[in-house]
Amino acid sequence: MAESFTSPVILRCIVVTPESTVLDTQCEFVALPLFDGEAGIAPGKSPMIGRLGYGELRVRQGGQTSRYYVDGGFVQVANNVVSVLTNRAVPAKSLDTSTLEQQLRTTLTTPAAGSAEMAIRERQISQVRGQLRVASHV
Amino acid sequence: MANPRVLDKRRRSIRNIRKITRTMELIATARFKKAMDRASAATAYTSRMTKLVQDLLASGLEIHHPLLEKREKIENVTLLVLTANRGLCGGFNGNLQRAGFHRGQELKAQIPNCRLEVVGKRGISALKFRGIAPNRTYTHFEDKPSFDEVDEIASRYLDEYATGKLDRLDVVYTKFESIARQHVAVETLLPLTAIGADPGSKAGRKAAATEAEPTSDRKAIYEFLPSPESILEEVVPASFKVKLFKCFLDSAVSEQIARMVAMKSATENAGDLIHRLSRQYNRARQSRITSELMDVIGGVEALS
Repeated sequence: MAESFTSPVILRCIVVTPESTVLDTQCEFVALPLFDGEAGIAPGKSPMIGRLGYGELRVRQGGQTSRYYVDGGFVQVANNVVSVLTNRAVPAKSLDTSTLEQQLRTTLTTPAAGSAEMAIRERQISQVRGQLRVASHV
Repeated sequence: MANPRVLDKRRRSIRNIRKITRTMELIATARFKKAMDRASAATAYTSRMTKLVQDLLASGLEIHHPLLEKREKIENVTLLVLTANRGLCGGFNGNLQRAGFHRGQELKAQIPNCRLEVVGKRGISALKFRGIAPNRTYTHFEDKPSFDEVDEIASRYLDEYATGKLDRLDVVYTKFESIARQHVAVETLLPLTAIGADPGSKAGRKAAATEAEPTSDRKAIYEFLPSPESILEEVVPASFKVKLFKCFLDSAVSEQIARMVAMKSATENAGDLIHRLSRQYNRARQSRITSELMDVIGGVEALS
């Protein structure tokens, strides 16, 4: 185990949103929120393309872990480069639990008619819940 | 005979105008740099998206997606025109209005149900002048359009397209090619033309080409979670959203460039005018002094 930290093989993690490049750093381990659960990426991972859900992205570098909330999107892993394409990536610290709870309450009480509106509401609820989960971990 | 005092007054007012135009030029330059940074940040996203799509296609997947298929019968069309909120930027708004107006007429002649949506106060007032009522207007996009705001509009179009309320979406905007070249472009964003070949920009294509070179990358066989089809289903709408966002960014950058150029030439023109007026003023002052001297000399001569 101790060897893997000192070995030259490390991951490069790049998080891009349409507005900016949020993160571009070397790291030892990345945990991704895939659409159906978490996936951990260590150096030497075989190439992968995956769909992301709404949840927490953890990047460990030098024993320190930074947390982000990512809002869906995709991930591509190849040659020890993890590229995360997402609409929004927010540091977990900047999420505010009280406003999120308020948001969840209003979303839950907003009436939705028809399957399309229901689907949008479902998505919003899972987005807010994902953010709340990330916020409560800090 | 020109009155030196009037000339001086005009000169002073032109000096004030020159001060204003120069300040506006500087502001436009600063804003342009910021807008440019945002646009290049978006390019990082689009080029990665292209790479992802290419890798998806390399897995031998056939692209079938409702957003990519042209509909046989087009009944509902939306035309989105992106103009600026402010004027004083040369031909920027005028060109967009003209192009938008022509495309609007064309579409109306072919397709009965044509909706018109306008972004920017300038476009809205131009339509009012022509006596056309737009179906929807937006004025909250300034020089920094945020993805969330564009996402809202894009999601609405996607929903309308999915439910059959929309068959085609055309966007009129100013495309940014380089700092010296921007032109008005009319593009059909829905149905999407190929997603793999182009996320629109030259830079994206270039990045894709350079990234395609290392052969080790090409050989990579990907594991797909959950499946290539399901990922594609998500990639197509995302690439549409990014394309629309890119239109907004391009438009914002081009507006600042247009304003920069317009204000630069206005400042230069004011300088020329001041120069000319100064010469006229000096001449008028000199001739007034000369005539006064003549009067005095004449008076002296008459007395002696």
